[in-house]
Amino acid sequence: MNSNFIQSMKDSMRKNLQVSIILAALVVIMAVAGIITPRFLTVNHLIGILYLNSMLGILALSQTLVILSGGIDMSVGAIYWLVVMIGAQLMGDGALWGPILICLAIGTAIGFINGFCIARLKIPYVVMTLAMMIIITGILYVATGGGGGGKSAEELTQFSIARIMKSSQKGGFNGLPVRTLLWIGFVIVFGFILNRTSFGWKIRSLGSNCESSRLSGIRIERVQILTYTLSGILAVIAGLLYLGQARTPYPTFQSGAGVGANLTLQTIAAVVIGGTMFSGGIGGAGKTMLGVIVTSVLYSVLGMIGLHEEWQVMLNGVIILVIVGAYSRMETNN
Amino acid sequence: MLNLKSILTKHYVYLILIIFWGLSFAISPFFRSVSTFSAIFISAVPIILIGFSQTIVVIGRGFDLSVGSVAGLATAICSVLMEKSLFSAILVVVAVSLLIGLINGIGVTFFRMEPFIMTLGMMFIINGVSLIVRPSPGGYICDSLKNVLLFSVGDFALAPFLIIVAAGIIGVLLLRKKALGRMIYAVGGDPNAARMSGVAVDRTRILIFTISSLVAGLAGIYLACRISSGNAEAGARYLFDSFIVVFMGGTMVTGGVGGFSGTLAASLIVASLVFILQFFGVSSWYQFIVKGLLLVVVAGIQISIFHRRSKLNE
Repeated sequence: MNSNFIQSMKDSMRKNLQVSIILAALVVIMAVAGIITPRFLTVNHLIGILYLNSMLGILALSQTLVILSGGIDMSVGAIYWLVVMIGAQLMGDGALWGPILICLAIGTAIGFINGFCIARLKIPYVVMTLAMMIIITGILYVATGGGGGGKSAEELTQFSIARIMKSSQKGGFNGLPVRTLLWIGFVIVFGFILNRTSFGWKIRSLGSNCESSRLSGIRIERVQILTYTLSGILAVIAGLLYLGQARTPYPTFQSGAGVGANLTLQTIAAVVIGGTMFSGGIGGAGKTMLGVIVTSVLYSVLGMIGLHEEWQVMLNGVIILVIVGAYSRMETNN
Repeated sequence: MLNLKSILTKHYVYLILIIFWGLSFAISPFFRSVSTFSAIFISAVPIILIGFSQTIVVIGRGFDLSVGSVAGLATAICSVLMEKSLFSAILVVVAVSLLIGLINGIGVTFFRMEPFIMTLGMMFIINGVSLIVRPSPGGYICDSLKNVLLFSVGDFALAPFLIIVAAGIIGVLLLRKKALGRMIYAVGGDPNAARMSGVAVDRTRILIFTISSLVAGLAGIYLACRISSGNAEAGARYLFDSFIVVFMGGTMVTGGVGGFSGTLAASLIVASLVFILQFFGVSSWYQFIVKGLLLVVVAGIQISIFHRRSKLNE
């Protein structure tokens, strides 16, 4: 009985080892932070971290879909910035829904083109989405002249920074940010789609083995096109939320290196830290959310103890290597 | 034999280069000058060297996302250490880039990590270290090294030209003639078959990443001389340029197919784009759109040829 219990504990541990590792990492980081600064572990501060990283979370979700399908989308960061800059220009005169629809249309179109070229023309996904990133970089420079312009519509800003259930007391609960709820909503919806619908299973099966998926009758081209299109749409939503927060954006993207490249690489980092297999098929929306939370809590802790961007970037790399290295050792041992 | 069909299907990169240069030559008098070609050669050297790094890694069925940051780190190290001694700066750059490549290789082989993820993590780490070494662009690059690496006779940039020629010869010979080159193709084409036929797959992959990183470090030394300072972010654009030239040059993302001569030609195309657009009176911002479209079109043509050929073989 006792040994059975231990055995079943071990089994479930092994099954959920990745999630256990990442939760343990999270607990350790937060405990250390709590010891250094007790204020770190307040609800308001933790929700503040989620609030700031909601956009990264939604972008990482779109990357998760693509990586699960056995691909990779190097253009999500570029679509994000395209929406931020073009959206601001379109919203300059206070219009709200027109610009939002145009942005959604742009993202859908870009995602569709990515998916179409990858699925139908058989262009390798890295090449295609990389080329798309470079093209968007060019379009952005040409369209904005390298500088920013315009501003976000007031309604969008209000939505992006809105909080509900705010306590009226001074020093009380700061409220739940609407856009974080939106992020969590997306995670639940896509978690459901990935685990409980045939479309989700098709995405995973495509990522596990493209050829056998095709032979078992899945119309892989349609699934691929849909996946990249969804990724484009989610990137647009993330971009709009950032535009609302930034109000008047100015380009913070690096010149020459490709717009949004760093952001894209951060989304890939969050996905693999969360435990989604880079080769596709295994993983999920919830895991990626955990990955985003771990990296953003770590950033926050480092910023708090006075280690700035260079250390954050460096430790992000260390975390990727340690966690993913641990995952792949486990895979090999199993 | 060079018939028209083989030129169109196999050697299209060179054709594109000739068309680009020919058109500019015919239309713009500014293009017909030695100084223009010198400028192209000077800006092409880092693209070609880092392109070589990426070529061998992609042929060996991998990606190296750390090449650009290795070059950036090299400029940062140079700008800090060259005040004291030129020799020690170069030595440290070589040692550090060898070490980075070795770690990449070990991560990919012994820890069985995806090359993309391994080098992505490495890239983040190197970026952080570079920013710590050189928080803002600047520093001192010794003049004698600049004079050697950018040596020119009159308007003609002799040293960059010679570097390109030497890199081309060494790169092509290494991949075509040397045992190591053949092993790289074998490992990229089919790792299991390579292992069966006695190739030390893991050792070859470690060597690939080490050479890649070393060449990227050397490119960084040249880059430091060209921008005459250290800049942690100087290498970032070369990461994407390296992918563009590798894929445009006909190296397949699936590994085992491709070569350095295509990369070389594609690098010259990419380096010329800025000047060509300038002579046509187009803003140089359009270079990104042209680069991206060219990459998609070339990759599309290449894939359709590849599929037709494999269908014929069936």
